[in-house]
Amino acid sequence: MNNTEIKTNKNYNRIVDIVDSLIINPNPEAIDVLEEIGTNSSIDEVRELTAKALVKRNETKSLSIVISQKGKGINDMSTVVAMSTINCLLSLEDKQEAMKILEETIASEDLAEDVIENARSVRALMNLSF
Amino acid sequence: MINAERISQMSHRIFNTSLNEKKTIRENSNNPFAGSKFQKNILTVDTFESSRNNEVKFTGNNITQSTKRIYSTFVGSINDFCKRFYNGIESIKEFGNRMKDGIVSMWNKVQDFGNQEVHPIEGIKNGLNDIKNILSYDVSSLIDTHVRKVNKLSKLDPQTVIKPMFVESLKALEEDLAVAA
Repeated sequence: MNNTEIKTNKNYNRIVDIVDSLIINPNPEAIDVLEEIGTNSSIDEVRELTAKALVKRNETKSLSIVISQKGKGINDMSTVVAMSTINCLLSLEDKQEAMKILEETIASEDLAEDVIENARSVRALMNLSF
Repeated sequence: MINAERISQMSHRIFNTSLNEKKTIRENSNNPFAGSKFQKNILTVDTFESSRNNEVKFTGNNITQSTKRIYSTFVGSINDFCKRFYNGIESIKEFGNRMKDGIVSMWNKVQDFGNQEVHPIEGIKNGLNDIKNILSYDVSSLIDTHVRKVNKLSKLDPQTVIKPMFVESLKALEEDLAVAA
């Protein structure tokens, strides 16, 4: 099943509805559900959807997942997922919280080198996008 | 004959009022006008009639005081009716004037429309364009089921309701992908 076919799938559209509802759900536990189920999915399209949803929530916890965690968001193994997340970060109207998380990630000594490197690259792009 | 006598008595009273009025001072009077209207001058004749005199006949036509009151009420009601009738006529006149103004303005519009030279084919084209414009309105936003579903789901609890739904849908999608592969 290619990318076009999956987007016409009934169950995929149901997942889209669920993920979109978790973006606007006022309950902070919505982030936990997105992290636990969406970012750990084996399907690239679902991970992409989830990473975008976490960026759109624009909260400290959700942005930390897509910026600072290895294998998720901008650090995803799939180039499509990583690039989509970066694009979504650049599209944010209020980039203040994202910049704060990026600065913290770059300054952190506990994180993996590739995570810090990715954060530094995204910060450069964010500075250009202002 | 009786009527002639009464008329003479009345004229006597009218033209010789001082003869019929006594300047008297009554204490503890129950006359309601005693203190003010007549300055304690009491009219002795026929001014204040008791209720017993209501049945006294006024004319030879057997019209009593109470009948007279009823007639006066009836006449008053006729006067009110006349006023209402007059007001009704006034409102009809206003309505007519409004109608006239409306017809005149409509006539002017028709004349303006008639003055415009519209080619028949151009008119049809314009009509089709209007229909096309109406059909091209974005009404999908009004009936978008996705937005309605999302709003409905966003009100549910994420952990207890949304999470099982998410897991179930993801599992079904994985099965679909496995079948397609």
